[in-house]
Amino acid sequence: MSSPTWDEFAELALKRITAAGAEYGDIRVQDSTTEQIEGEDRRISAIRDIKDVGFGVRVLYRGAWGFAASSILSLEEVPRVADLAVEIAKGSASVALEKVRLAPEPVHRDRIVTPYRIDPFHVPIEKKTDLLLTTMEALHRQAGIARSSVSLWARRDRKLFVSTEGSHLEFNLLAGQGECTATALHEDRFASRSFNTPHLRKGYELIEEADLLREASRVAAQAVEKVKAPAVDAGQYDLVLDPEHLSLTIHESCGHPSELDRALGYEANYAGTSFLTTEKLGTFRYGSSHVNLIADNTEPDTLAATGYDDDGVSCQKWDVIRDGIFVGYCTNREVAPKIGEARSHGSNRADGWGSVPIVRIANIGLEPGSATVDQLLADVKRGIYIEGHGSYSIDQQRYNFQFGGDAFWLIENGKRTRMVRDVIYHGITPEFWNSCDGVAERSARRRYGFITCGKGQPGQSGWMTHAASPARFRQVQVIRGEGQS
Amino acid sequence: MTAVSGKPWPHMTSRDEFRFLADLVFKRSSSEHTIVNLRDHHTGTTRFANNQVVQNVDTRRGVLAVTVAFGGRQGTASTTDFTAGAIQDTVTRAERIARVSPLDPEYLPPPAPYEFHARATAKPETVAAGPSRRLEYANEAIGQCRMENLLAAGVVSSSVTAVGIAANNGLFGYEHRGEARFSLTVRAGDATGWSAAAHRSIDHLKVQERTLVAIKKAKCSCEVQDLPVGYYPVILEPAAVAGLWAWLLWSLDAKAYTKGTSPFAGRLGELILDDRLSLRNSPDHPDLLGEGFTAEGLPSGASVWIEHGVLRQLAYDRFTAKTDGVDPIPTLEAPVLSIEGLPVASIQDLVKNTERAILVTNFWYIRPVNDRNLLLTGMTRDGTFLVEKGEIVSAVKNFRFHDSPLTLFQQIGAWTHPLEAVNAETGKMLVPAMTLPRFHFSSVTRF
Repeated sequence: MSSPTWDEFAELALKRITAAGAEYGDIRVQDSTTEQIEGEDRRISAIRDIKDVGFGVRVLYRGAWGFAASSILSLEEVPRVADLAVEIAKGSASVALEKVRLAPEPVHRDRIVTPYRIDPFHVPIEKKTDLLLTTMEALHRQAGIARSSVSLWARRDRKLFVSTEGSHLEFNLLAGQGECTATALHEDRFASRSFNTPHLRKGYELIEEADLLREASRVAAQAVEKVKAPAVDAGQYDLVLDPEHLSLTIHESCGHPSELDRALGYEANYAGTSFLTTEKLGTFRYGSSHVNLIADNTEPDTLAATGYDDDGVSCQKWDVIRDGIFVGYCTNREVAPKIGEARSHGSNRADGWGSVPIVRIANIGLEPGSATVDQLLADVKRGIYIEGHGSYSIDQQRYNFQFGGDAFWLIENGKRTRMVRDVIYHGITPEFWNSCDGVAERSARRRYGFITCGKGQPGQSGWMTHAASPARFRQVQVIRGEGQS
Repeated sequence: MTAVSGKPWPHMTSRDEFRFLADLVFKRSSSEHTIVNLRDHHTGTTRFANNQVVQNVDTRRGVLAVTVAFGGRQGTASTTDFTAGAIQDTVTRAERIARVSPLDPEYLPPPAPYEFHARATAKPETVAAGPSRRLEYANEAIGQCRMENLLAAGVVSSSVTAVGIAANNGLFGYEHRGEARFSLTVRAGDATGWSAAAHRSIDHLKVQERTLVAIKKAKCSCEVQDLPVGYYPVILEPAAVAGLWAWLLWSLDAKAYTKGTSPFAGRLGELILDDRLSLRNSPDHPDLLGEGFTAEGLPSGASVWIEHGVLRQLAYDRFTAKTDGVDPIPTLEAPVLSIEGLPVASIQDLVKNTERAILVTNFWYIRPVNDRNLLLTGMTRDGTFLVEKGEIVSAVKNFRFHDSPLTLFQQIGAWTHPLEAVNAETGKMLVPAMTLPRFHFSSVTRF
């Protein structure tokens, strides 16, 4: 006898939910394959092929949620888990104050497939390990490099979403990334410099187009330059931030505060709340008129562009900050009606079959301006150009932040000159974005993604992409990140 | 399987079943060395916010990972499907990787068989706890907050995990681990108070007591004053101490030490902190989350890491240990920080004996700024107060700090006995609350 299909499992679960009297239910069946290859110090340290299969059932009963999930996909386990989800929802309902009311969404029946040119799972492992070993050799070829690390990552998610409303969505999604890091030693100091391809929904062509070997030579030389560079003098500087660096600044200071569940207090015990409280919607000046931050879950290749979210809502594009004014949240079907919105923005995602979907940051990107990068630099007398990610931290309402970076160059009289090290800048989110007086043109736009955005209890990893062109910020406070003076 | 209480529990992989699965892997594997890791995890979390349940989940995930090696070429594959066909596929995938994997100069055969210490890692009351017990605790916290016209947000969770390791050289370990957690943030506008607990026994979460603590902190936080940034004496509660020490613990890595990329480089055997401080691993302590063995098959045991301020121990992976001619030892999983001398009885006594200081309940988003000297940054959170003349006089707006535990813990003022400490970003520890003379608050936020 052949084993039941995913559709048959879904039908079995949803029948139980409906028979139990639930007003809504859905099931996600998912088969995820991850290949992770890691190297350090001229050796391949790990190759892992991870298969993660299971299903999760979500139930809304008398306005309250229950969720249960299991890695055992069988005719015995599916009804047990569906019944457990109902039982849990009934428990939640027994203490509910305000019933959950889902924003309406049309029924969707669709199949989403990530386009790709080269399937990363069909590229021979030895080709990948050769690339990584050669990359590490290139890193160590630079005198002064003491340590190296490299990695390649690929993931395929096959997923089925079926709801009691009749939506039926099949997904076959792909994502990948690669990186290398060199660490240089000098006197009693060490410093690292990295090259990261963005995390994108692309095939292995993402790695081939990145040219890791060329980038390895560059970052190794810059690691040595960085460790020997003078520490920055603390003070106020104009900053020009590159797209990779900005991806993190956008993520932390705009992405998280624009999650409506945070603004409504759902995350108060862990990730925190948001200074972008609901009365500010449509009126609050978040940034200067140069600042336009747009959520776009429809842009091809980006991590949150999955066609539909885990509410079964189709992916959309909307304004979060328009001409500096805060105008839109990331929402799901549960929280959108709480601020009078008729439809969810489709930002409800789980990190796998075993997790309940929660509001996640969308692909929020900074809209390009009209200046060239040279024009941005030309108008800076004393500034710092920052590339890549470094130390980062932000308060639980997302006001007070500090960011480092991966590499720093002084800007003197309009020119990028020499490297400095240990740059940390800090500020208050709306003050910082109001100091933005220029964004570079579209040709300088780049996209960087995150797959480790932590939120929720139990903790989940969110995936999203942030695109930006370099942008300039005036008179930002910089401190020297090397300890007490 | 039936739990001790008699309540049904979804069937977790038993010791005999794990041995059967491991033997099946060994039979199917043609490799020189084969290691099988089991992690069969069943967890439930009831999450509440704005005084009602917003998320209520139960997840069961079993994972079997197979690592094989042919003469120093290794590969790992894992599956969540424990059927014979899936296990055969997993072995095949691991072998396919190993056959084409480059020779790893640091490869070592599996650890020799070891009689792992049996620890009481799964308490029956935790194993038996289900959604109704979690809901009962959540309601207790919510009910107290409603009575005070405050908002409760938090979680109650319980889990049980069957963990196993087996190798084809006879290495075998298996244990059940249970764990329960409670954390609560009480809100009064922007003012918040917080408390948290983690324990092997769900009966030891002290939900009512911790709820009252969080309520008191929230109520005391309603009127805040704006203090200038600078250096202040501080009273750090246990969660705040644990937040700083977590980064110190994670940096005690022998490989980084030998490669020159450790903040401790060249300082093993030297005085690095206040000479009254000692740090031990105590996996048998009933209030800690000690384990019998690690995922690499190393035993977890009592050990001394910092003794009277002197750095005595680093975490050695097996290859670095072999190179250095020492025993491998995993990172501490049950840390106890103690201070020699006469402690005060309580945090309240620390406050009473303080002329002027900032009292910090907890830190948030602690991250390294400089790996060379372990300079950290982070924010105060959920109860930051000005203490003057032995009393809390007001709440203060939350600060960002930039400081290093290697500087901060050079001189301890006063301290309590080690107390249970857990927060959102660290594991559980026993650490004293303490006063420190000089702490660098570098900026202030809006609330």
